[in-house]
Amino acid sequence: MAQTAQDDRALRERFERDVLPLLPSLYGAALRMTRNPADAEDLVQETYLRAYRGFAGFQEGTNLKAWLYRILTNSFINTYRKKQREPQTVEGPDDADEWYLFDRLGGQNVEGSAEDEVLDRIPDEAVKKALESLPENFRIPVLLADVEGFSYKEIAEIMETPIGTVMSRLHRGRKALERVLWQTAEERGLVDG
Amino acid sequence: MAKCGPECEETLQEIERFLDHEVDEVIRVRVERHLSGCDDCTDKATFRVHLKALIQTKCAEHEVPDALKDRLRTVLSTPDPGLDPR
Repeated sequence: MAQTAQDDRALRERFERDVLPLLPSLYGAALRMTRNPADAEDLVQETYLRAYRGFAGFQEGTNLKAWLYRILTNSFINTYRKKQREPQTVEGPDDADEWYLFDRLGGQNVEGSAEDEVLDRIPDEAVKKALESLPENFRIPVLLADVEGFSYKEIAEIMETPIGTVMSRLHRGRKALERVLWQTAEERGLVDG
Repeated sequence: MAKCGPECEETLQEIERFLDHEVDEVIRVRVERHLSGCDDCTDKATFRVHLKALIQTKCAEHEVPDALKDRLRTVLSTPDPGLDPR
């Protein structure tokens, strides 16, 4: 560990250059994971610390974003899973109801592309709440795929789960989310119910 | 709802992975070919694309609080951040 001050400075500069631009998306993901700003800030700080410590061993040119999200996800699971006890199953529409939200929104008698318009009218906060209502096993894959745009393979690596598990949780998580979004639209009087 | 043929069924079975860009070339071409001639399946696919985009825009990046930026700056300027107590 005989690092010179110059190496330290170069490392820090590289860290700031590469990692800081990812801060907003990391913080956003931390918010969706922890569901509150105070915990999200702590989680991002912890992720930063761990990433900074491990950064010297991080190979430049490999997938930095996935590497950071892996640290974020790990930190979240280790620190908050104990704190936030919650059921780890989802209640989604059953398998036959593959097009749950599409079918319901399509039944609304509004002209034009009614389905899309109803969705657009759900406020941002309500969509965030809907995502946050999913248990973490399902929330994280949906967050990583649909919000962050990671591939199945990347999500499998980030979550340290087999790719088949990712696919099934993603599928079930999305269906459960459709159900919550429909309930939200109903509660807000955006659809006839 | 229009009645779906076996080709629709096959397409819809692949649609989630197709929209996630997780299918191989053969399936991708097959799904695209079917979609180009089937309005029902195209409607469903378009709906899913829109839903995904909506979740992305409405749940994505959040403005980072200044307090957090300050905390992180402190973390990085500590000589050995590993020893910095929380």
